[in-house]
Amino acid sequence: MHPFAYTRASGTREALDAGRRGGRYIAGGTTLVDLMRETVERPGNLVDISGLPLREVSVTERGGLRVGALVTMAQTAAHPKVRTLYPVISQALELSASAQLRNMATIGGNIMQRTRCTYFRDVTADCNKRDPGSGCAALHGFNRTHAVLGTTDSCVATHPSDVAVAFAALEATVHLLGPDGKRGVPFADFLLRPGNTPHREHAIRQGELITAVEIPALPRPLRSGYLKVRDRQSYEFALTSAAVALHMRGGVIREARVAAGGVGTVPWKLPAVERHLVGERPSDALWTAAAEKAAEGARPLENNRFKVELLKRTVERQLRVVGGTK
Amino acid sequence: MSPQPQAAVGAPLSRVDGRLKVTGEARYAAEFDVDGVVHAVIVDASIGRGRITGVDTDAALAHPGVLRVIHHGNAPTLPYRDNPGSNNLPGRRLRVFQDDRVLFHGQPVAVVVATTLEAAQHGASLVKVGYDAERPTTDLAEGEPGRPANYARGDVEAGLRDADVRLDLTYRMARNHHNPMETHATIARWDGNRLTVWDKTQWVPGTQTELSTVFDVPPDSVRVINPFVGGAFGSGLRCWPHTVVAALAARETGRPVKLVLTRKQMYYGTGFRPAYEYRLRLGGDRNGRLVAADHGIDAETSSYETFTEAVMSPGQMLYSTPGVRQAYRTVPLDVNSPIWMRGPGAATGSYVIESAMDELAHELGIDPIELRRRNEPAQDPSDNAPFSTRRLLECYTVGAREFGWDRRKQSPRSTRDGDWLIGMGMAAGVYHTAVAPARTRARLNADGTAVIESATSDMGPGTYTSQTQVAADALGLAVRAVDFRLGDSRYPQTPPHGGSMTMASIGSATLDVCDQLRRQAIELAVGDEESPLHGVSPDDVVVRGGRLHVQGNPTRGETYQRLLTRNDRARLEAEASFSPPRGERRSISAYSAVFTEVAVDATLGLVRVRRMLAVYDAGRIISPKLADSQAIGGMVGGIGAALLEHTVTDHRDGRIANAGLADYLVPVNADVPDLRAIYLEGEDYEADPIGVKGLGEVVIVGVAPAIANAVFNATGRRIRELPITAEALL
Repeated sequence: MHPFAYTRASGTREALDAGRRGGRYIAGGTTLVDLMRETVERPGNLVDISGLPLREVSVTERGGLRVGALVTMAQTAAHPKVRTLYPVISQALELSASAQLRNMATIGGNIMQRTRCTYFRDVTADCNKRDPGSGCAALHGFNRTHAVLGTTDSCVATHPSDVAVAFAALEATVHLLGPDGKRGVPFADFLLRPGNTPHREHAIRQGELITAVEIPALPRPLRSGYLKVRDRQSYEFALTSAAVALHMRGGVIREARVAAGGVGTVPWKLPAVERHLVGERPSDALWTAAAEKAAEGARPLENNRFKVELLKRTVERQLRVVGGTK
Repeated sequence: MSPQPQAAVGAPLSRVDGRLKVTGEARYAAEFDVDGVVHAVIVDASIGRGRITGVDTDAALAHPGVLRVIHHGNAPTLPYRDNPGSNNLPGRRLRVFQDDRVLFHGQPVAVVVATTLEAAQHGASLVKVGYDAERPTTDLAEGEPGRPANYARGDVEAGLRDADVRLDLTYRMARNHHNPMETHATIARWDGNRLTVWDKTQWVPGTQTELSTVFDVPPDSVRVINPFVGGAFGSGLRCWPHTVVAALAARETGRPVKLVLTRKQMYYGTGFRPAYEYRLRLGGDRNGRLVAADHGIDAETSSYETFTEAVMSPGQMLYSTPGVRQAYRTVPLDVNSPIWMRGPGAATGSYVIESAMDELAHELGIDPIELRRRNEPAQDPSDNAPFSTRRLLECYTVGAREFGWDRRKQSPRSTRDGDWLIGMGMAAGVYHTAVAPARTRARLNADGTAVIESATSDMGPGTYTSQTQVAADALGLAVRAVDFRLGDSRYPQTPPHGGSMTMASIGSATLDVCDQLRRQAIELAVGDEESPLHGVSPDDVVVRGGRLHVQGNPTRGETYQRLLTRNDRARLEAEASFSPPRGERRSISAYSAVFTEVAVDATLGLVRVRRMLAVYDAGRIISPKLADSQAIGGMVGGIGAALLEHTVTDHRDGRIANAGLADYLVPVNADVPDLRAIYLEGEDYEADPIGVKGLGEVVIVGVAPAIANAVFNATGRRIRELPITAEALL
């Protein structure tokens, strides 16, 4: 671990000032401290924001949900409004990490967590994300768990978060507060695809702070759920995952929100799947046909070819679980 | 067997050291408070093979707190005398900082010593090592095998040619790492020419002799202390380079040095179960009787040492097979040396044999248990030695009954539960019973307590508890009156704490030493005119609850306390030296039958073990609660090997790509279902004087093939590679 300074921000203004001067925000620390131990992250100044008043879950005027950046994963998952309005969020959270981590880690930190790519986390390996221009050891290395969607030769790492997949599916907005005031960033624009600048991972500007994640109101009734396919039954990242939310009326799917995890360089929204579903009646044939579109554009690597087929099957299964039939 | 009543042995005692462990008072190697201790952090090679061209230590030395950076350019020459009788492997052991060669990725190339751990860690990250890198060979398939070890009996070619059924099967097993909870750690302190180390090890005397030969100091000037081991599974069976590094750093700085390996360094520094490719050609007749088997076995070893294990054994002796030929080739690679890991050799060999038996059963349409019954030998087929005890058929019978094997459908892919395909599988397991010379000493104090000392270890099986049980019964004392001490090289010498030989070997020495003490006390009493036992035949005296009395007449007697006090004896003392008896040749092994039910989501490639039951023929069970703990641990380890554990090497530079518990997956609670262990009641006094056959190893043997066979039964898919992952089943 490299030497660093640590301060606790007593208020939002103080945090923003420190952030503007190059301080790195730390809340639960479940990702950042790990990476500091590995010297992957070498912040000079840590600004602890865990004392800021960003711990509320509230229903918005339009009937959506606003989750404060410092609400823990555990609190979010257990919140009655989250459970009833968006089971997909609760499920994604409860299938993440371990109970201990969920008690520490925050929603803002969760969507900011960095990839599990082992080459990224090993400072002696080449990694464009960690050390721009050094190359990508994963591209022709051990890449079983890596991405098949959104990759470039610069980077093939997946985004590891589960709840971010649910946020992507539900088209959440990330609220930021910075020196120039507040702004909201659509989730689709918040996490950046690697392109040839994989070290740039998000749309946050210097000194900006995540204050909340807002999930928009969706027509009711809304059925939703999250499926995570992984090597072991707990405490492991997704090989593939699917977040699905469906609004059905009169036996017809009126709205569909679908995204996949474990397969993309960012949580992967599946608009082609959504389009295929809207206006149709649930059936096993529909789920299969829609899921066929899940892996469009996939670019598999040597060790993760299976993910292309597994992704389709994961989406198909979760469409059936949420949408019914059989 | 002792004439003493058996009160403690066989009782389901909790660990005698349990309280110490759960309250944090049990001290592990890194936890000893040594005055003036400084910290060492190893710098690892970041290339897979080549030479060090330079070590730039300026930045590290400039960091506050850094005392010294030691590397091949400034390290003293170390004597590294031969160490025969150690667990060092044939070859030339890795000599730390003695030359510029890099033999494998992760090899220690320097050590930074600093006043704080943080300074040492940061200092290590500031050391710049220059390399002249070569491309390493780390892939088993690409290496050049060495000369094989061979075994042959009967006419294999004719047998295979004339067989009604022939199978030609190749199985692959991934490299596995032990991954104990406690990382390896050493504290080293020199007092003049005397060295004391607190070192995580399964063999205190082994570390003592290794350090004595490396530094060329007399063995008795090296003391090794290690009362508690936080799991090891074999990783502590030899003294590794990092322990030498700690001792060297202590000598060079003149300060006690603490060195704790990181989890990542454990992958390069403390051995592993090697990867295997195992080809088996099997021939049988129409009735399922094996006629011939040809085994071609390739396994990883390092470029500098040759590691072998008993992988050939199951193929020689598990089933009656007239023709057997085996060639076991080790393949030297640019990797660190392997070491024995739980069920060494047997777990690997039996995975292949037991999978192949399942394939043959399916081919012939014979129930897998019936097939095994038809090939059950009357004596050891490898050398025709009679079995001491072999109750494998009983294991099958009891296991089938308790598990509900009759509900298994022979035809694969016949049982469904929603999206899950359900299957059952079984496998046999075997592990040879090893015993080795062992010593103990004991004293019986005038206050009616006893202390037994032995240099053995307790890496988790419960040596403290089970030895206390044996001692308590032999002395006729309550368990709480017995203090069994271990983990110090000043105690009498013992063999490595591994190979399932601790109970048999140290247990036999403990029984002997306590029998001696009890007899001394009895002799003292019957010869003492003031004793109520005066004149009684010693054979008629037993001891219970610390009181000697005439057998069948509890009223006539007195306590140890009273006897010793009256005779002005502060204590009675004895020493014992157990040597394995050299009687008639016997084939002595522990056996098991493992049954499991799995659910497979064939669409998503998921395998979930639903339940597992194993029946063991392991001789006498000294400590039932600890036996269950062993059995459950072994089953969990087997689940890991079958479904999860896989050390991945990046063959481009020899880097282990998943060197950490976030990426090297072991089972978590959610993966571990209802596990049940049953022990056939009995004992085997041909094995050793306390009638045990060893349990800690056999419990992992047979688990992986039982799971693989169940996966086949569920899906009809035969996966011949461990671990069985999602992509194999899609």
